[in-house]
Amino acid sequence: MRKDLVFGMAGSGGDGIVSAGDSLLQAAAAEGYHGVMTKSFGSQIRGGESSCRVRISTDPILNPGGNLDVAVALNWDDFLKFGAELPVSGTTVVIYEAATGVAENEIPLVGVTPLQVIAVPIAAMAKETAGTERAKNTVVLGLIAGWFGIGAVAVMKGIRKKLAKKGEELVEANQRAFDAGRAFAMAHPLKASMNIVASETKGDVKLITDGNDMCAAAAIFAGCQFFGGYPITPSTEIMQFFTDHVWKYGGAVLQAEDEIAGIGAAIGASFAGKKAMTATSGPGLSLKGEMMGLASIAELPLVIVDVQRGGPSTGLPTKTEQSDLFAAAFSAHGDVIRPVLAPTSVADTFRITIEAFNIAEYYQTPVIVLSDQEIASRKETMDPIDTTQFKIINRLRPAGADLVDYKRFKQTENHISPISHPGMLGGTYLASGIEHVESGAPTNSGSVHTRMNEKRTRKFDSLKDRKDLFEVTGDPHAPIAMIAWGSVAGVCREALAMAQAEGLNVKLLVPYLLYPVAEGVYNDFFGSVQKGLVIEQTHLAQTFKLLRMHLDLPKGLRSLARSGANPFLPGEIVAALHQLLSELQRSHEGKLQPQE
Amino acid sequence: MSATCEFQAKDYKSDLKPIWCPGCGDFSVVQGIYRALAAIGRPPHEIAFVSGIGCSSRIPGYTTAYGFNTIHGRALPIAQGIKLANPDLLVLAAGGDGDGFSIGGGHIAHLVRRNIDITYIVMDNQIYGLTKGQLSPTSQKGRVTCTSRFGSLEQPVNPLLYMLAYGAGFVAQASPTDLVGMAAIIEEAIRFPGFSFVNIQSPCVTYGEEAQQIKGLKAISESLVALGHNPADRLAAMDLAQHYGEKMHLGVFYRNPEPAPTYDGLVRERQALLSKDALPKERILDLFIKK
Repeated sequence: MRKDLVFGMAGSGGDGIVSAGDSLLQAAAAEGYHGVMTKSFGSQIRGGESSCRVRISTDPILNPGGNLDVAVALNWDDFLKFGAELPVSGTTVVIYEAATGVAENEIPLVGVTPLQVIAVPIAAMAKETAGTERAKNTVVLGLIAGWFGIGAVAVMKGIRKKLAKKGEELVEANQRAFDAGRAFAMAHPLKASMNIVASETKGDVKLITDGNDMCAAAAIFAGCQFFGGYPITPSTEIMQFFTDHVWKYGGAVLQAEDEIAGIGAAIGASFAGKKAMTATSGPGLSLKGEMMGLASIAELPLVIVDVQRGGPSTGLPTKTEQSDLFAAAFSAHGDVIRPVLAPTSVADTFRITIEAFNIAEYYQTPVIVLSDQEIASRKETMDPIDTTQFKIINRLRPAGADLVDYKRFKQTENHISPISHPGMLGGTYLASGIEHVESGAPTNSGSVHTRMNEKRTRKFDSLKDRKDLFEVTGDPHAPIAMIAWGSVAGVCREALAMAQAEGLNVKLLVPYLLYPVAEGVYNDFFGSVQKGLVIEQTHLAQTFKLLRMHLDLPKGLRSLARSGANPFLPGEIVAALHQLLSELQRSHEGKLQPQE
Repeated sequence: MSATCEFQAKDYKSDLKPIWCPGCGDFSVVQGIYRALAAIGRPPHEIAFVSGIGCSSRIPGYTTAYGFNTIHGRALPIAQGIKLANPDLLVLAAGGDGDGFSIGGGHIAHLVRRNIDITYIVMDNQIYGLTKGQLSPTSQKGRVTCTSRFGSLEQPVNPLLYMLAYGAGFVAQASPTDLVGMAAIIEEAIRFPGFSFVNIQSPCVTYGEEAQQIKGLKAISESLVALGHNPADRLAAMDLAQHYGEKMHLGVFYRNPEPAPTYDGLVRERQALLSKDALPKERILDLFIKK
């Protein structure tokens, strides 16, 4: 019996692989399991390759998993295009379409002998039972129910609901396809049973959604009333959620003519006194740079979501990467600090998006939420979130004495000045991208510029004390450490648990606040560290370099960095940690040896 | 909404001293704006005045309204965010010909087609003044500037024709040669329910050509009223607008006799229609419950 199963399925665009993954995830949730589903596509809109990975577990899930337990290939060309995204190992059961004509001992996976390989006439079964090959994905779901014990009832219940409007005939056809898959599995048992154990939490309410929808819902919860944006993969669903819902809350959404106008409208809305947001991905972030600088100097609250994809330029538009860190921290010219936050899962996207609004409002600044394609488009099952635990912060408004000879950019002890908005009597001022004195009047004075730079940067000092924007797990005195953020943090959390189970003394730092760099938090963490890894999905090791720019890093802290679309596996990270430990032991032994 | 006739032109004049060159046409434009706003009578704190970058984009600071001197070419996108966030505000946008028709040119068609109730005033001087005299998008072909020593090789844009072709509901042209007329046109533009555009031939005394100074402009100016132009006739307006650059027609080229619904008005309707469907915010995650 298994407590945790990772499925990876690939086919061509029309095969309905992702829809099968959705059904599997929902059925698993209905049966009380935890689940995570990620999708990965080629860039084609129709046809092309399409895949999903579904991880199902009796315990809460930290990431989409490493090597596959079950691989499903509807054709080999498409499956192979995903390479390291769908890794097959010696413990994988491989199920594939018999019509490919490939013999079971000749499947095109190089350098690996799977646990078991099974050719199934999936298309033929679909045609025979449902009258169309389009039911292939339902046959696959039947196979999974039969071999792995997930969704025997719940899958068809879900499909029945989904297809109800399309008529009983179609539902029945799918039922036959499902039953045929299940019967095939029963008739051909696996060499070693891989049935999942029953969940004890069957029937509990669960939430299922992806990072983009969660981000938009969190924004509306935080009081966001305006969204300006432009379609770009993989962030567009955030705008779509706003177009579905924000009106109900008295807000508005504008699909602008370009990325610049999208953020511009959001800046206008913020100037007008409303909480506002824009969302984009790499190329859009590049275009929004000048506007972000404007929001910084005019001290206007604004949340900018950047769902990272492979870059530069068009790069890998449908695949995840963490290479926008420098752009998030440093794009736009001039001396400026722009806070950057990163969620690590769909569930914590809720909290981090609310934090982004709170920080934007409190410090009167643009804030970037640095999500990534994996979190944005993966679906997670979650326990319900108690929304009442989250505090909402609104910008400081001028009142009473503030409005007598009102100075919008007044120097204060914490460098934060009460902010008025059009419509407020007594609060009129000139907002501008040009340097200004306290009243807002333009100036060219070097001394005023120095004072205002000081105001606009020192106001973030208190942000760096926010220890609650960092997560430290493992033994705080451990000599071996990991640092990771975003979707990679989830892999490292699992690696930590595995390493601890193997007796390694390791700790993990997950920053939700990436910039400004909170020197104090890192220095505390580094105290015990002799060896460690900064693990990130960027070719140039941007996180490692950002930290090195601000901190004296422990000598033994190294970078483990790679380009996007090449996921980290928990197992390889554990292996790297073992390597660090043996280096550490060798260096200690070296010190103990008497000198010649 | 506030009562009218409570305000005078001076109530809209700020303490900031304009840094325009002596004799700049923009001095007249800001006077025209003060007068128009006084005639309309909205209190300054209910007005948002947005500009881009350029000599003329300094203008919001010289008023007592909420001003926003933004970045080059982006007054309109920012102005529309303000209007959509708070449709009760009177929103003005202003800038120069380079700001509006070159770097910001891509935004205009979209502002017009959305019909957001904003008044856009362009101070058109056929030159980049703030950067000291380069070719602008409305400079005539052949014009010699510091970036066109041997004469410009390109046709200018025609702001009036563009606006008419994009479908703007109100298109007019004014000039500092007639301050009273300019104030009246700006007032009418602001009162028009929908996107409105006023092109103002505002001479650059430092880099402008002789023909584009007040004297030269007077020589080519012609009143649309005197011509007997019917401002409800869009095609006639387009005919007249083709003479941009040779003649200076002053007055209203086009005023849609049946103004279309505004985007900001439609937004309000949609908000009212859908507000009953709102889950309480603390229950917004119920949208993700799968049973």
